[in-house]
Amino acid sequence: MQSLREVQRGFAAATVFGDTTALAALGVVGGGLDPIARIGVYRNNVLGNYRKALGATYPVVRRLVGAPFFNAAVDAFVRAYPSRHGDVNRYGGELVRFLAAYAPARELPYLPDVARLEWAIDQAAIAADAPPLDLAALAAVPADAFERLIFVLNPSAHFLASAYPIQRIWQVNQDGFEGDDAVDLGAGGDRLLVLRGANGVTIERLGAGEHALLTALARRAGLGEAAARAAGKEDGFDLTRALRHHVEAQTLVAIRVPASTQPRTGR
Amino acid sequence: MSPANLLPPVAGIGLRSPHVAQVRHDRPAVGWLEVHSENYFVDGGSALSALEAIRADYPISLHGVGLSLGSADALDAGHLARLKRLADRIEPVLVSEHLCWGRIDGRHLNDLLPLPFTNEALALCCDRVSAVQNALDRPLLVENVSAYLRFEDDAMAEWEFVAAVVERTGCKLLLDVNNIYVNAVNHGFDPLMYLAAMPGDAIAEIHLAGFDASGACLIDTHGARVAPPVWALYRAAIERFGPKPTLIEWDTDLPALNVLLDEAAIARAVLEESNAVAA
Repeated sequence: MQSLREVQRGFAAATVFGDTTALAALGVVGGGLDPIARIGVYRNNVLGNYRKALGATYPVVRRLVGAPFFNAAVDAFVRAYPSRHGDVNRYGGELVRFLAAYAPARELPYLPDVARLEWAIDQAAIAADAPPLDLAALAAVPADAFERLIFVLNPSAHFLASAYPIQRIWQVNQDGFEGDDAVDLGAGGDRLLVLRGANGVTIERLGAGEHALLTALARRAGLGEAAARAAGKEDGFDLTRALRHHVEAQTLVAIRVPASTQPRTGR
Repeated sequence: MSPANLLPPVAGIGLRSPHVAQVRHDRPAVGWLEVHSENYFVDGGSALSALEAIRADYPISLHGVGLSLGSADALDAGHLARLKRLADRIEPVLVSEHLCWGRIDGRHLNDLLPLPFTNEALALCCDRVSAVQNALDRPLLVENVSAYLRFEDDAMAEWEFVAAVVERTGCKLLLDVNNIYVNAVNHGFDPLMYLAAMPGDAIAEIHLAGFDASGACLIDTHGARVAPPVWALYRAAIERFGPKPTLIEWDTDLPALNVLLDEAAIARAVLEESNAVAA
């Protein structure tokens, strides 16, 4: 008699991997139906659930490659990257990495970046809520503290940089898109901000300076350093305008004023 | 522990995201709503805030699909913590999970998989159910699942296994009448015999759903109206156990909300008939 662990291990091998030796060891009661057909119901259910769940997370990837290709890719992904949570909604972020190495998808070099965008959209929708930045608190920051001011970003904010025009690819592959759906892959790359603000999840194209500013702030660089990085990426970068926009858009939702880094006295 | 059952024996429906806006707007006359717990294991966002708004108007039941009570792997403490966090936030009338497994060697299969009905599996399930009840500080409802295979090593029948878990842990039972029917057909037993083995006092909820009969065995798809023989079995259950909170579940090929409400109205008529007889 197999232990419970052995039964479950064999069941997983028989369903996810189609391992018929494991199935034979399971001791499935036939009862008028071949055990292969019985385990086949579970095989279809398990793989079908993932195809459906990941198809909902990655509708544009699915559309770009077509359902048969997508389903085969999901099956291979499930074998290579096991789900680690009982909540299937948390599954699928590693599809980006999987697709980057998936030989059949090599002809679509932008596919992993499109997947990255769709995962960011998915995650932004469920990120923690954050109240808008308290403008009074911002106004109260002494001028000499601006250099070291730290901004807290909206928990839903995700940054993506791609060598391909992935926003355009995403846009023309939305249900109900009308108009010219041609995409010029040579049109240049995108720097994108995915954010859940007052109007739900949005995708915004960022300028080079803006992107440098926000990604620096996201890793808790002080405003002085972040602004310097932005200026280094974009001539004539308008810091005030960028800050005002991203406070209003709720990209930036809180501030921290670190204690002065002046040498301490009186010790 | 808090009272096991604050829900009157009325009909409810499973609430799925495509129906949320309409339910918030129309506020249909239905006794309660049930959601899949995991869909709200989130830090924030519109789905969670919608549920928080809806809970002001309807009793909410949290129905889990991913805790994997019967896995040889240890109980997932993170999953349980998220369930606890959600229960604290939503204050559901009922919290339920399936008597099944879904994870082995760290890999989740994210499905409701059949247990061998062995003494080892029984002992493990009882430990897990008790651990969950302690963690949540409330009774857990466990649900019988549909199955497309069973194991030669089974030491007892499914109904004996289910009844033993309830008896040993003091948990409540979410009796899925459709699953009993599906298994009766798939494995060739008398569904009335199954009902007769159930501890009626522990039944805190009943599930009804539709199956697919196009293949070699019945598949519990939650994708159709409740089948006539399942309605008949439901009537037999209510006759035997008295009226119980009853839920219409629909997950695949989700139809208009009205279709679910129509199904709930049929269940309500059965429940009211039973109440009238009792009065």
